[in-house]
Amino acid sequence: MSHFIELGPQQLVIATVLIVAAGVVSMVLRLGVERRLGIAALRTVIQLGLLGLILEQIFALENPLLVVCLLLLMTVFAAREAVTRASRGYRGILVDAWLTMAATCFVVGGVVTQVVVGVEPWYDPQYVIPLLGMILGNSLTGISLCLDRFMDHLEVRSAEVELRIAFGATRHEALAAPLRDAVRTGMIPIINSMAAAGIVSLPGMMTGQILAGSPPLQAVAYQIVVMFMIAAAVALGAMLVVVLAGRHFMGVDATLRLDRMTAKKN
Amino acid sequence: MRRVYTPPMSAFLECGPFSASDGEGRVLFDGVSVSLEAGQCVGIEGPSGSGKSTLLRHVAALAWSPDATRQLDGHSFRGAELPAWRSRVSLVAQDAPMVIGTVRENLSFPFTQRAGRERKFDDVRAAAMMTQVGLEKLPFDREVRTLSGGERHRLALVRALLWNPMVVVADEPMSGLDPGIAEVCFDLLLQFGRRPGRLLVCVLHDPRMNTRTDRHLRLAHGQLKATA
Repeated sequence: MSHFIELGPQQLVIATVLIVAAGVVSMVLRLGVERRLGIAALRTVIQLGLLGLILEQIFALENPLLVVCLLLLMTVFAAREAVTRASRGYRGILVDAWLTMAATCFVVGGVVTQVVVGVEPWYDPQYVIPLLGMILGNSLTGISLCLDRFMDHLEVRSAEVELRIAFGATRHEALAAPLRDAVRTGMIPIINSMAAAGIVSLPGMMTGQILAGSPPLQAVAYQIVVMFMIAAAVALGAMLVVVLAGRHFMGVDATLRLDRMTAKKN
Repeated sequence: MRRVYTPPMSAFLECGPFSASDGEGRVLFDGVSVSLEAGQCVGIEGPSGSGKSTLLRHVAALAWSPDATRQLDGHSFRGAELPAWRSRVSLVAQDAPMVIGTVRENLSFPFTQRAGRERKFDDVRAAAMMTQVGLEKLPFDREVRTLSGGERHRLALVRALLWNPMVVVADEPMSGLDPGIAEVCFDLLLQFGRRPGRLLVCVLHDPRMNTRTDRHLRLAHGQLKATA
C-alpha cells in the first residue's frame, strides 16, 4: 500500500448531497421511490458503519476464534438472504443453504487464503474476512438462483420429470436434468462478469485496491484470483445445494414429492 | 437389487392399499387395493373427479403411498426397488408428456436409463410401430414441441409399447385422436394386454371402448368395484 486520500465525516456529509439529488429526481418525476431510497441509504450507513466498527475491533484483537465466529455469522446471514430470494421453499431449506455456504466457503476460501495467497497467520482478518465475504456475497446470488431454478423446474416441468420416473428412472437419473438446469442458471452471473471483466466493468475489488494505492497489476492479480475463487464457489455451492434440496423432494424410491414444496410466504 | 420371492398363490399384479384426497382435502378413495390377473385388459370407469387418474398414479407408484405394498408376478417391490417396479408397470399419462428433444429421444430415452441398460432400442421396430399408428411421415429428428396433441398421444403409446413392460397403465390414451386412428391404437393396446405375462389397465374416455375390455372396474364413492 503506498498512499490514499483519507475520507472524514466532512467528506461523507458532502457525499450525502448525491443521494439527496437522487431523491429530488424521484420527487420531481413522481417516481415514489424517495422513501425507499432514504431507508436504503440509512441502512447502508448503519450496516457499513457497524461492520467498520466490528472489523476495526477484530483487526485490533487478532483473535482466531473471533475471526471464525464472524465468518460463521456471515454464512448464517448469507444463507438467510439466499433463502429469502428464492420464490419457493421447503422445510429445512435454511439448513441446506447454510451447510452449502459454510462448506463451499471454507473449502474454496481455505484454498485461496492458505494455499494461493498464503496468509500469515492463517486467520489474518485483513485477508480472510474480505476474501470470504466476497465468496459469500457472490455464491449467495448463485445459490439462490440455483435453488429457485431447481424448484421451478421440478414444479413447472414435473410432467417431464415424472415421465422419466414412469419408465424406471432412479433418483439420480430423474434429478439429472433439473440439476443441470439449476447449476447452469446459478453460474450465469459469474460467467457474465468474468467475460465482461476489464472491458465493460472494472471489478469492484480491483477498483478498491487501486484507490487504496496498490499497483494496478497487483490489483489485477488479486481480481483474477477472486474471480476464479467465486466461480469455483458458485459451481460447488450450486451443485451441493441442489443435491441437498433434491433429497427433500425425492427419496431413494424416486417418488417426486412436490407436496413438500411451499410457496413463499409473502 | 433385493427382491423377495413369494409363491405365486397371489394374483399377477397386487398393490395397495391406496388412499388419496383431492386438493380441497375431500377423500377420493381410502384403502383401495388392486388385484389383477395377467393376460387381460382391464377398463376402469367412474364419474369425473372420482380419482381414476390418481388411482392409476398410485398403481404406477408415482404418487406417494408409503403404506402400500406392491407385488408383480410373485415379486415384492418396495423402497429403493420402486424404480424397478415402474420399469415393469409403466404409466402412459393423460396429457402425453414428452421430454424436450426429438421424436427419437422421446422413444429411446427409457433404454438409456439404468432400467433399460441391458436392452437395446430397436429402430426398425420403432419405425414399424410408428407406421401402424399413422405416424410414418414423422421424422425421428423432429422436435416434439412441434407435434400436435394427437401426434403426441400416439407417440406416447408407441413409446410404452416399444418399452414393452409387463403392465401398461394408461390414462385416456386415445383422447384427442380421430375415431379411426383411435381404434387402431386401442387394438394395439388390447393385443398387448392379452399376451401371456402382460396386463393392460386403462381409463377410457369413450364408453364404447370400455365394452371391448375383458374386465370392468368402477371407481365411485371411494370404492373400486368389479362391474359386469
